[in-house]
Amino acid sequence: MNIFDVLLRDFPFLLKGLGVAIVLLVALLAIGFLLGMAICLLKLYGPKTRLVQWPLVVYERVFRGVPIIIMLFIFFYGLSGIVDISAFTAAILAMGLRSAAYQSQIFRSAFQSVPAGQMMAARAMGMSKAKAIRHIVFPQAARHAIGPWTNEFSSEIKETSLAYVIGVVELTRQAHYIITSTQGNVLTVFAVVALLYFILNRAGNSLLYAFERKLAVPGFEK
Amino acid sequence: MADDLILDVQDVKKAYDGLEVLKGISFGLRKGETKVLIGPSGSGKSTLLRCINHLTVPDAGRIYLNGHEVLDDNIDAMRARMGFVFQDFNLFSHLSVLDNVRICQIKVNGTDKETATQRAKRELERVGLGDKADAYPAELSGGQQQRVSIARALAMDPDVLLFDEPTSALDPELTGEVVRVMQQLATEGMTMVVVTHEMSFARQAADEIIFMENGHIVEQGTPDAMFTDSVHERTRAFLNVIAEHG
Repeated sequence: MNIFDVLLRDFPFLLKGLGVAIVLLVALLAIGFLLGMAICLLKLYGPKTRLVQWPLVVYERVFRGVPIIIMLFIFFYGLSGIVDISAFTAAILAMGLRSAAYQSQIFRSAFQSVPAGQMMAARAMGMSKAKAIRHIVFPQAARHAIGPWTNEFSSEIKETSLAYVIGVVELTRQAHYIITSTQGNVLTVFAVVALLYFILNRAGNSLLYAFERKLAVPGFEK
Repeated sequence: MADDLILDVQDVKKAYDGLEVLKGISFGLRKGETKVLIGPSGSGKSTLLRCINHLTVPDAGRIYLNGHEVLDDNIDAMRARMGFVFQDFNLFSHLSVLDNVRICQIKVNGTDKETATQRAKRELERVGLGDKADAYPAELSGGQQQRVSIARALAMDPDVLLFDEPTSALDPELTGEVVRVMQQLATEGMTMVVVTHEMSFARQAADEIIFMENGHIVEQGTPDAMFTDSVHERTRAFLNVIAEHG
């Protein structure tokens, strides 16, 4: 059997691995989005007391300052001694919590790029701070955030492959199984895998850019 | 406090880092009156205007709107009753002109969408922009943006409109269209406090001109009195400079 027949035969496994990677990606981005947004809002609009602000700063620095592979080891091997945690859950947590630190920075700069006069005008019209954030500042910040967010999206797609090291059977590990069973063909198999990551990346980015164009405000210079 | 005052400002003080910007300002406004605040840069006019709706929180003094004191507790409700027009317009840049004029009716006053839309269209007609409802702020000239922001304030059916140098960011040729709208409002009986350097507006539309300097009211009176025989040397000097350059 030559490698192309093997690839054809085992392609469903690669697709399954891709599926796992996508679930991991969506889950970690969702955690990162919700937590990142919460961190951003607390930083910008929350109480300015040290009790609130310091933990946020520490969180950001830790999760942006430690390599993801170390985080994966800590969350899987470290935590599995304390709680029953699967490799997949550990990967979602480690990567999601780290993504939150990065996404909070993206959102913070997006919110800060909305001119202060927007909040002031909303408040002057009688909107509460919460309403002004929701109806005026957030929609504008969201538009600023999409561009930088595509970067986060792209790098997280690629980093899902690192979940391989704690045994998550995602795309890269499926590829490795094929290589092991055929004893070689590294170049061909990984070329196919690279193509799959690339397609996923392009598809996601195209969607995000389409979303950005759809939300573009007429007459507004970028 | 006189009962018939819509807006009653009593002894308002404000300091920044020990520098007193407002040293105890009092004035009042009856329904339908237009008062124009003039004075050199740094005299405290804009700070006073912002103190009225607590965009700047005063250190001391009281402000009453329709007999109700403006307080931190009721500030959102009070602001909804006071329109504010900014020097740099501050239209909501992600919203169409129509949405700019109706969003606060809906989200603050709880007006239903249909009624808010009708009202918004009426106010846009009033400022001469009925055909721009679907445009976005960035597609409009400065003068048009400022007129939209006036419509946005009017749509809330405010008791008083506060104008903070509404034409200072505009080219001279665009100033006229905004001033005309303001004059029309004054004629129609809108109650307004206007900080401006537009002496033609002050002369024609003001019931009273208040001249401020160094955080004090130096002098106040009707336009005729102020322009022809102001009592204070300082007022005369200021008006002369404005007359020469403006």
